[in-house]
Amino acid sequence: MTNRTVRRAVATLATVAVAAALTGGATVPAQAFKLGMAVGGLPALDWMKAQGDVANALAKRRGWDYVELSNNNDAATAVKNADIFIQDKVDAVIEFNGQPSVNPVLAQKLGAAHIPVVTYDIAQKGFYFVGIDNQAAGIAGGKALGEIAKAKWNCQPDLVLSSEGAGAGIVNTWRTGGMRDGLKQVCPDIPADKWISFEGNGQAAVALPAARDVLAAHPDAKKILVVGLNDGGVLGAIQAAEQLGRADDIIGWGQDGSYITGNNVDPHLAGSVFYFLEGYAVYALRDVIDKIAAGNPPPMKDDAGDPASRVEPCPVSAAEAAKIPDMPERVKQLLAAPAGTTEYELFCPKKG
Amino acid sequence: MSDVATSAPTSSAGRGSLGASLPAGSGTAIVLLGAWLLLIVVSGLHRGDFLSHQTLLAVTFTMAVTGVLAVAQALVGISGGILDLSQPTSLILSAAVVSHYLEAGMPVPVAVLLGIAVGAAWGLFNAVVIVVGKLNPIIVTLGTNFIGQAVMLLVYQNAQAPISSPLTAFGQSYFLGLPNIWWPMVILVLVVGYLLPRTRYGRHAIAVGGNRFAAQARGISLKKTRYAIFTISGGIVGAAGVLFAASSGPFGPSAGSTYQLPVIAAVILAGVSLAGGRGSIWMILLSIGFLSTVPTSLVFFGFSSNWQAVFQGLVLIVAVAIDGWRAKRLQR
Repeated sequence: MTNRTVRRAVATLATVAVAAALTGGATVPAQAFKLGMAVGGLPALDWMKAQGDVANALAKRRGWDYVELSNNNDAATAVKNADIFIQDKVDAVIEFNGQPSVNPVLAQKLGAAHIPVVTYDIAQKGFYFVGIDNQAAGIAGGKALGEIAKAKWNCQPDLVLSSEGAGAGIVNTWRTGGMRDGLKQVCPDIPADKWISFEGNGQAAVALPAARDVLAAHPDAKKILVVGLNDGGVLGAIQAAEQLGRADDIIGWGQDGSYITGNNVDPHLAGSVFYFLEGYAVYALRDVIDKIAAGNPPPMKDDAGDPASRVEPCPVSAAEAAKIPDMPERVKQLLAAPAGTTEYELFCPKKG
Repeated sequence: MSDVATSAPTSSAGRGSLGASLPAGSGTAIVLLGAWLLLIVVSGLHRGDFLSHQTLLAVTFTMAVTGVLAVAQALVGISGGILDLSQPTSLILSAAVVSHYLEAGMPVPVAVLLGIAVGAAWGLFNAVVIVVGKLNPIIVTLGTNFIGQAVMLLVYQNAQAPISSPLTAFGQSYFLGLPNIWWPMVILVLVVGYLLPRTRYGRHAIAVGGNRFAAQARGISLKKTRYAIFTISGGIVGAAGVLFAASSGPFGPSAGSTYQLPVIAAVILAGVSLAGGRGSIWMILLSIGFLSTVPTSLVFFGFSSNWQAVFQGLVLIVAVAIDGWRAKRLQR
């Protein structure tokens, strides 16, 4: 060993010693876990913004860094956001992407960067699925409507309308078909020729004229039930009956709770099924991201039928819906509740 | 009939004795009326309960908003503006404004006037872009329709006139056994159909649509006519928005798109030339009546509602073919 080498070794040791003295001998703290959240980005949908607010609050409570980007309901923006998450070196991402056509691209990019992703309600291979059990939601709504039909018409309706939304694909099959299944569980003897489907596209404005024609073609039907993809599709059929002077002949039960609260509820919409979309982050963090942050990622469950975390549907009558707080109040109470508590547990009147 | 034309010959000379004895446009009326009656008779024979008050209500409710939109579209077409493809946006924008202000507690007449004014403003906006930019109306309105819908998507998800509002009660009630909202459509068709060929501004619109160079040579301002027609047409779409808000329940920004196809088909079937200068507003009553009966009839024949778009598309193709055939015949 030469003198020069010895001098270098001594200098290095001295530098390390000084650095250790300055830091008090402590190790450099590990970087905080960083959660990325891509919100849907339709400003008019309050629950989309609330999804981000809840995720932010829960992440901060855990001492995590939180990065929120808006997908602006736009496919190209969703892809750009994935790139930003990768550059920002987030440790996990929650996606609510209303443009699922680019989900394979997001999966490829984020997968290559080894960033685990939770997706809300829209399944994508390689993403942890957190969302509603649409089939269960449909069955719950159908059973609730069946109980009304049993009490009021002894399970003998003249007509059962299904306001389909074929564009929603399997979700329509689960929800609308599930409602029919639930109704059959309570009223198993409704003849096959009483069941009529029409395309409502999940919109009252589309469902209304289609249902109007169906009702005109069944002028003698006096006891009419309506199920459908969502509240809007069911409401279209109810309003068609109102236009034809048959408002008191029809009872509907919707899905998603869009039109069952507030001061503009149609009296013939008997109930709906709440999903409490704004509170999904509780499920995502509790069942997936907490485990990833702890270095113990859960097994991949990317199938809506076998999700990483299942959101419980909450069927409510119109009277019960009137007692459920509005969304800002629900968020407030959710964040004040013990960790892991869901809105279903807090607000659903009929917990399973 | 009030079939009007400037550049195209309206004489029926040389068309045979029947053509010579009937006023211009009668052929279209006879064909439309015949097709409509045939549809009603065949549907009635297939199922006797087709001929019921319920069917009448279903058809007339369908006719109401579509008919008003068709009048607005026909004005644009006759004046040489080809088509206003932004009607879906204008319709929903007006309906959303009416619903919003009713929700805010504004008196119904004020909210209704605001809805019509918004439609007129939208039409004027289209005219400014078309005239100042010297652009093709069909491309401009296609673009403004996309822009309008995108902006509305950013601003709101759903609108609905309050259930307790007098406007909603009006939209769900009847007069003389027919929907309240059907009557304004009929009155509009009759009034506009009467005034168009009988007023100075109406004749200017027809002249510009028929041959704009000849019209300019006669001192008619193409720009002023464009501004006037698009603004009036927009106001009529605004009125359709009011009727839509009164009768539709909750609606989203894209809810108006379902009207585009039947409105265009109705206008062409009514004999309004896409080349401009020719067409009868009164004939819209027949074309809208026929087209509004088709979906109800299909359901009575057991077709699902999914088939309606197929038939509407077919009718549109047939109507465009007829329009092309008419144009060629007139050129000869």
